[in-house]
Amino acid sequence: MYFQELILTLQDHWAKLGCIIAQPYDLEVGAGTMAPATFLRALGPEPWNVAYVQPSRRPADGRFGENPNRLFQHHQFQVILKPAPKNTQELYLESIAKVGIKASEHDLRFVEDDWASPTLGAAGLGWEVWCDGQEITQFTYFQQCGGFECKPVSAELTYGLERLCTYLQGVDNVFDLEWVKGVKYREVFHANEVEMSTYAQRQADKDQLFALFESYAKECKRLIVECELPLPAYDFALKCSHTFNLLDARGAISVTEREGFIKKVRDNAKLCAEGYIKMREKLGFPLCKTKWTVGDQPALLEGKPASGMWWEPKKTEKGEEKKKEAARG
Amino acid sequence: MADLLLELGTEELPARFVVPALDDLERTFKEQAAALGLTHGAIRRFGTPRRLALLVSGLIDKTPDVKEQKTGPGVKAAFEADGKPKQPAIKFAESVGLPVEKLERVTTPKGEYLAATVEVKGKRAIELLPDVLNACVRKINFAKSMRWGDVPQSFGRPLHSIVALLDGEVVPALFADVKSGRTTKGHRFLSPQPIELKSPKDYEAAMEKANVVADIEKRKSVMVEKIAALAKQAGGTVIEDPELVDQVVNLIELPCPVLGRFEERHLDLPPEVLVQEMKSHQRYFSLKGPNGKLLPAFVAVSNTPVKDEKLSVAGYERVLKARLSDGRFFFDEDRKSRLEARNERLQRRQWFEGLGSVADKVGRIVSLAQFLNGKPDATIERAAKLCKADLETGMVGEFPELQGVMGREYALHDGEPKEVALAIFEHYLPRGATDSLPTQDAGAFIGIADRLDSIVGLFSVGKKPTGAKDQFGLRRACLAVINLTLAKGYRFSLSKAIAEAGRSFKNVPAADVLEFFRGRLESLWREGNRPDAVEAVLAAGFDDLVAAQKRLYALSAEVQKPGFSDLAVAFKRVANIVEKQAKDVKKGAVDASLLRDDAEKALHSAVQKVRDEVFSAAKADDYARALSRVVTLKPAVDLFFDKVLVMDKDVAVKENRVRLLMEIGDLFNTVADFSKLQG
Repeated sequence: MYFQELILTLQDHWAKLGCIIAQPYDLEVGAGTMAPATFLRALGPEPWNVAYVQPSRRPADGRFGENPNRLFQHHQFQVILKPAPKNTQELYLESIAKVGIKASEHDLRFVEDDWASPTLGAAGLGWEVWCDGQEITQFTYFQQCGGFECKPVSAELTYGLERLCTYLQGVDNVFDLEWVKGVKYREVFHANEVEMSTYAQRQADKDQLFALFESYAKECKRLIVECELPLPAYDFALKCSHTFNLLDARGAISVTEREGFIKKVRDNAKLCAEGYIKMREKLGFPLCKTKWTVGDQPALLEGKPASGMWWEPKKTEKGEEKKKEAARG
Repeated sequence: MADLLLELGTEELPARFVVPALDDLERTFKEQAAALGLTHGAIRRFGTPRRLALLVSGLIDKTPDVKEQKTGPGVKAAFEADGKPKQPAIKFAESVGLPVEKLERVTTPKGEYLAATVEVKGKRAIELLPDVLNACVRKINFAKSMRWGDVPQSFGRPLHSIVALLDGEVVPALFADVKSGRTTKGHRFLSPQPIELKSPKDYEAAMEKANVVADIEKRKSVMVEKIAALAKQAGGTVIEDPELVDQVVNLIELPCPVLGRFEERHLDLPPEVLVQEMKSHQRYFSLKGPNGKLLPAFVAVSNTPVKDEKLSVAGYERVLKARLSDGRFFFDEDRKSRLEARNERLQRRQWFEGLGSVADKVGRIVSLAQFLNGKPDATIERAAKLCKADLETGMVGEFPELQGVMGREYALHDGEPKEVALAIFEHYLPRGATDSLPTQDAGAFIGIADRLDSIVGLFSVGKKPTGAKDQFGLRRACLAVINLTLAKGYRFSLSKAIAEAGRSFKNVPAADVLEFFRGRLESLWREGNRPDAVEAVLAAGFDDLVAAQKRLYALSAEVQKPGFSDLAVAFKRVANIVEKQAKDVKKGAVDASLLRDDAEKALHSAVQKVRDEVFSAAKADDYARALSRVVTLKPAVDLFFDKVLVMDKDVAVKENRVRLLMEIGDLFNTVADFSKLQG
């Protein structure tokens, strides 16, 4: 299966199930999770089902096009299902069956792998999916995002497209992948790897990057605090994050400074998350009015949605409700 | 009598969660059942990544009726002066369904009360079980748990089904968005259809039919057997790794091991590297040949019997190939620069906030290890200097478990002396309770110095372990220092070593560190020794750990002898008087001219007789002999207490007698503080 077919097959699978096919976010990000279509949409009560390819830049992983499986930029196929359907695993397995990995032919396994991103204040539990011992997908149930509890919980599926495709095509070197018939990954991206690695690890102007980091961070804060514009503010948080990654790859950040930079990015990401939830609330959480779900949702329990069965922690009312909850289990 | 099945069907739980969760389930069930009087027979446990189950046999159908005495109001408040019942008596009588005349009276410390014996009817198991099962599910304490959907409950991974069957009947239970029923599922791929269970007894067979070996031990033995067979087929045996077995068995529901191979050329990598590559990332089992050397083969355990084994084995092999290429890359790259040259980079590696870099720590280890050795030693110095250099290598960066191993390999490659290379590796030993100890002193001293530095350093910044928390593994480190010192018979002053280690830090709470050691010694020695004997030995000092252990052994042997408790009583009396008088009476020689009674003269001469022998025996570490000499004083001590009053009116006489007792105290203090012994 060509690289391109892989993308199209996955898109088709998730589109048919009711996902929006979004386009890659047009800023530098380290992972599909950072795109607003994941990070911001995972916040708040609104449903959200999306799939998109996200070119992901990891300046420190750049190997000048010389390493067979490490890249400055790779591609993630990102799926967010919110609320996560009961059969998320099955829907996922159907998707990889469609690209040619059949459960009857391979050893497919869900192996514990929890995920946390200190720069995003985000964390989740889940697995890496193994196919004959090879990790092909990261599968996470979001628990926290921007420091906020995720409710409902989103399922995030991240297919590492290059890795999955080298597996499918049976090649050892990512540059040998066939993008379409007759065109190799090498021809499409090798020069990009060489130049981007050279920039990130040898040529990047540290002073300029330090200055940019500060000014992006300041602008992010201003946009959120003074202007209540969480969406553009989040763009600046992303720019901060990428600038930090560049500085890090350049070896410009000492161990002691590192924490400080990460904290700055995280604090801004949290402000954006908070601002985004407020903004959606003001709009009346419009997506809540849709009945937009993918896959099997939990059955009604005694005629009500499960969430309605359970007492929710509220600071004002204690005793009674707590007892009720305890009685139910 | 009925059987009960509780099965929780989940998405794939982490392997390490399965057994602890079953422990919780079983414990909660037993506790709840016992509290309610729900007696039952044997409990069987089943667990896979996708299910946790208990099968309880012989559960009673109904708890027995019991007679229970209920206490009512106080008699005084319940009746008028003329004996007419007042409101409280009438109300109480009504509540228990008896006429007032039938009420009993009970006397309590607070006074006389009305009481009634009532019969509490037993309840049917099916009525009690919903709460019991709810508690079982709720009280599983996962190392990490998660929410799913939009319910507030959390679990190890999303819960999909609850099977709760009492014989043929479903016990109603509810957790998060799941209601109990009788439907479960088998193997994810081989038996995806729902399975309706008729009765708890059918469970294991139904699972088996659905391609799941639900019993962990059974699954393990099948797996181990199949792995061994494949190893044999490859011409070797499996390298035993119980930890890996326990992990892998809970990664699968159906053990389907397969044999794979890797290129022979990789066998020149250190075997530890190969084993680690296979184990830590891939969970493959390594194989060795009849000569004990690694074979270029492995066993991976698949969860599914695939259609074409070759296809999936090729997958396994490819992954390992990439890993081994990585490993080879690191090994080659790492050897391009000398270990010594990497030490510089340790300056940039923070060891702990406020405690400097790893390079600083290495400097401290170098000097402390020499101090412990008592004299400078070239091997110790060199090995200590290089002992952390491998942290800066690519291989250890990728596999932290290989620290020490890579240090040894790279040191040998650099042409360092063999002993130096060995000491670099051995300073990490023992790495666990069952690991072997260093074979030579250099590694042992460096290891003690490293750990002592960590303990003293972290204590100095307030990071001593509290409660069950021991974030930095200091208890383990302390125990390793003790075990190494005792096993190797190293004689040094613990307090001086702590002071030496503390020279590089500010605000060292030396007394706390000693107390910490005391705590570890206490828990170590309490296994197999009387607690009061341990206490008595520790109270008399443990600055020389080896001597302290010998003293303990001598005392432990003595306390088991018949008649010891009489002996203890006599010597305790001595110890108590000495302790009381210590602040008023100065130590000093006994003045023979002031001795008046025959009994005290006799005791004095008895002490004189054994004194030198006791001290010289103690000096020669022969505490059994020292103790056996001290013990001979007993008759003289008894006679002394019988005939002589220590507290004489004449102060000089009194003080002389106290000094005589102090001499005796000094004698047994060579072994232990007898005042701490129980009679």
